[in-house]
Amino acid sequence: MDQKFEGTPKSELRLEGRKVSRSDVTNDWGLRLQWQVKRDGKVIATPAARIEADYTHPDKTPGKYEIVLQMWKYVNYRKNKQREFIDSKFIEISNTVTYTI
Amino acid sequence: MIHVGQADVPLCDGVSRRSFLSAGATAMGLSLPTALELEAAGAVDPAKQKIKNCITLFLVGSPGHLDTWDMKPDAPSDIRGKFKPISTSVPGVQICEHFPRMAQMMDQVALIRSLHHNTGASHENGQRWMMTGHDFNAANIQPHMGSVVSRIYGQKTSLPASIVLPAKIGNTGTSTPHGQASGYLGTAHAPFFLGSDPAVKNFKVANLEPPKGQTEFRINSRRNLLKQLDAIQQKTETSSTIQRDTAYSRAFNLLTSPKTRKAFDPSQETDKLRDRYGRNTFGQSCLLARRLIENGSRFVTVNHFDTVFNVTCWDMHANGSSLDNTYLDYERHLCPQFDQAFTALIEDLQERGLLEDTVVAVLSEFGRTPKLNNRGGRDHYPPAWSNFFVGGGVKGGQVIGSTDKIGAAPHDRPVLPPEVVASVYTAMGIDLETTMMPGPGSRPVRFIEADPIQELFG
Repeated sequence: MDQKFEGTPKSELRLEGRKVSRSDVTNDWGLRLQWQVKRDGKVIATPAARIEADYTHPDKTPGKYEIVLQMWKYVNYRKNKQREFIDSKFIEISNTVTYTI
Repeated sequence: MIHVGQADVPLCDGVSRRSFLSAGATAMGLSLPTALELEAAGAVDPAKQKIKNCITLFLVGSPGHLDTWDMKPDAPSDIRGKFKPISTSVPGVQICEHFPRMAQMMDQVALIRSLHHNTGASHENGQRWMMTGHDFNAANIQPHMGSVVSRIYGQKTSLPASIVLPAKIGNTGTSTPHGQASGYLGTAHAPFFLGSDPAVKNFKVANLEPPKGQTEFRINSRRNLLKQLDAIQQKTETSSTIQRDTAYSRAFNLLTSPKTRKAFDPSQETDKLRDRYGRNTFGQSCLLARRLIENGSRFVTVNHFDTVFNVTCWDMHANGSSLDNTYLDYERHLCPQFDQAFTALIEDLQERGLLEDTVVAVLSEFGRTPKLNNRGGRDHYPPAWSNFFVGGGVKGGQVIGSTDKIGAAPHDRPVLPPEVVASVYTAMGIDLETTMMPGPGSRPVRFIEADPIQELFG
């Protein structure tokens, strides 16, 4: 019996200064939940988001920051020769918030 | 046509009574002989209504103890692995960073870190040890814990005493039994295997659906017809026929009872609660386990996976082929999924006032090799692993036993699988000294040759 994950997870992000807050995740698959933080288009951090509903990225290096909530999407467990997943991947489950320092 | 004996009794549409009843009984996951033997299991006994329940979460494939609940952050990198420990609600006790919710409720958990067994490192050996408390003996297949509980306590309601979710364990490497059968207790005490995935949309328990073409009205009509037929038969046959009819009656009740169907329906819960468990096969099975306990089942087993091949599971050999689970699977899938569902179950049981009367046991087959293999995985390792208990009056907030500096062997208070099984029985209120099982020639025998872990009971 392969595992099933029904529906699509969703959450709403809100930004206050540099602090981003998320709503409860609906249709929560229960897999890894993380903040993806980009600066000037480059991913610089992916901290866990399961326990705390708020996150403030500590880095104050000047640039344009984008934060989005991601969840792991399991399709199958196949991996390539570099030991990375082929079909399973993180997907965005929220709106993106941005701020500039 | 009426027949007294073993031959078929055709019904009006050509379906024989025997095949109809077989369909009904099989639809419940029970064979007809099982239904017949249910009588021996004992009917609802009000005196046993207060007995404690058990939910076991069985982690098929087996987590690496060094990557989960027995971390060794000071060991060399090829032993300590990639994850970091985090503090918990119990001072001095740390677990893996990928169990953050569990860390917050460690004050309720009794963690055993010195489990080990001395037999072969196959999954099936571990499954049998942890689900029966016995080593394998082909001449005397030992019963699953749920079967023993069924034999001792019988059914509390129309629900089966022992239920396995979402499916029985399938291929895990060798063709020997997995320890989830009733063994010498007979099929009357076999667990009910759900065989469906409660995470799928429009989930229905196929095994509780009437056979195709049979409406509830028709089933009830046939029950009435059978009553008339059996009134004739009972005048001419032995008491075994009466027992059989009682079993038939129970089969009908299970097939048609709205309460039974409702107990198996997770859509009765709020979306918020379903989300809290995780919208996946394991999470929704844990939710269903709570519903079944709440509605009268005594022993529910949730198998976290039914195979180790070609799926994400705990069996992290990282072999690049059909056993290719790695740290990535643990970090992204397995640990978060377990953390979410396990803690939801404990919180839910507690909020409903069920945790004090329900012991939750998280069990697995063995540990994994302390030293990472050359592909970054870990292989089977029975000399040391960790499992744990919550609820049912078990004393939480403690660690029982420990392993050496690299998690290679128990350092103190070594614990063997039969002690864990004996602890489950004790937590459920079974007196191991006075309760016996029918052995060869109906000679009473002890069903577990071990003492419970006394520390669990304070």
